[in-house]
Amino acid sequence: MRSAATLFVAYLLLILQSTVLEMAPVHMAVPSFGLLVVLHVGLSPSKWTISSAAIVAFATGYLFDLVSGAPQGVHAFVFTLMTLFARALTRRVAVNGIVLGAATSFVASLLATFLVVLVRAQVAPEGGYGGLRQAPLEALLTAIFGPLVLSLFRRLDGRVDTARSRVGLARGPRGGGTSMSMSLTDRR
Amino acid sequence: MIGSSKLWREILVVGATLFVALFVLRVSSRNPGELSMLDRGILRLVSPGQAAMSYVARGITGVAGRYVELKGVRAENESLHRENRQLRAELTEMRRLAEESGRYQRLLGLRDATPAETIAARVIAVDASPHFRVARVEIDRGEGTVRRGMPVLTPEGVVGRINRAAGKSSDVLLLVDPRSALDVIAPRTGGRGILKGKSGENGYRCSIEYLARGEPVKEGDAVVTSGVGGAFPRNLAVGHITKIIPGAVGLYQDVEVTPDVDFARLTDVLVVVAPPPTPDPEPGSHHTPGRGLAVMK
Repeated sequence: MRSAATLFVAYLLLILQSTVLEMAPVHMAVPSFGLLVVLHVGLSPSKWTISSAAIVAFATGYLFDLVSGAPQGVHAFVFTLMTLFARALTRRVAVNGIVLGAATSFVASLLATFLVVLVRAQVAPEGGYGGLRQAPLEALLTAIFGPLVLSLFRRLDGRVDTARSRVGLARGPRGGGTSMSMSLTDRR
Repeated sequence: MIGSSKLWREILVVGATLFVALFVLRVSSRNPGELSMLDRGILRLVSPGQAAMSYVARGITGVAGRYVELKGVRAENESLHRENRQLRAELTEMRRLAEESGRYQRLLGLRDATPAETIAARVIAVDASPHFRVARVEIDRGEGTVRRGMPVLTPEGVVGRINRAAGKSSDVLLLVDPRSALDVIAPRTGGRGILKGKSGENGYRCSIEYLARGEPVKEGDAVVTSGVGGAFPRNLAVGHITKIIPGAVGLYQDVEVTPDVDFARLTDVLVVVAPPPTPDPEPGSHHTPGRGLAVMK
């Protein structure tokens, strides 16, 4: 249920990203909402096992590939890697608050852009490594929207937990990725 | 043990996910543009949402854009109105200058064609008093050269003669003033008489005195200067006979003449400051048309 709800919101965000923001004044770059979805699942080990986070990241990336017209698999692969990066990050840093959320979004966006350009260069060499110039702007926009979207997903998780407890399916923090226990939700 | 197997399971799933991602990537790179059944199904689900969102977004941005455009249009409209007013003013000024230039050119043509020395003058007042048909003219240069009795012309015809001269400005006694007298001739019949202004008339009218009955004129006949007296050149247009008053008895006809010059619209005139050459002494030659716009053809 959590995965379905998250994917549905991811779907809405990706549609938003592919339509509304294309009409925004800044046409060169848009915030990567898909990456924020991936960051959320990666940064929430108490709610998301690493496997489920990877699957959701893959699905989100694949959906983004289809929506954006990218070769299938590019964002699916990169987003899956970014989930692992986020999960690894939670072992050392407690991503909490607006500033840390924005900073994480910024760094993750830069890294994701770099990976996407790298992968694209392998599968579609004619594109070269172009697009890196826009990376800072895209990272900045992602950082601006990051705390907001992460907060939205935390609320969504809370709603899912409430709904599950109502039907008697409530469960505590997942054991998956037991060593990666630092999470934004836990610390709140 | 359980935790370890769970960990391995997690790692396996993650590895499988990555593998699938790479596999998909490899397949799509080999066959770019090809969509699987799953892809088509996903896109069918996604497309309506995108279309709806796009519709809403375009609606919002369209309204916002139109608002911005309207603001721009309003400012542009005001700017165009200002520009329009300015251009209209310039156009009016240009027309005035063109008209003035045309007048000057006609005047220059008359000046070149008139067999006399002339200077230009600007009309500064006409009919200041309804009882006296007088125009006041001002010359730019040649102060002191204008004297009483000098003829005043326009390209349309004879205006009158200088009645008073004082410095740069002079009073012109118009043809229609009762005090004015000009020796004229009707070229069609050769009848000759004295053109006099008609007092008490609302319009600008003259009459010819001493026009012999033996040389009957008719309405529409032209009247030109005869050149007698030496002040006015010959054959300058004066006017047309517009009325023949019946029942006149005696030796002379009683006719009314409407001047060719529109005295109400006088702006620039020429003052003949030197007498024209001596008239051709050969009989009948003074009836041949002369040169110049004011000359009756």
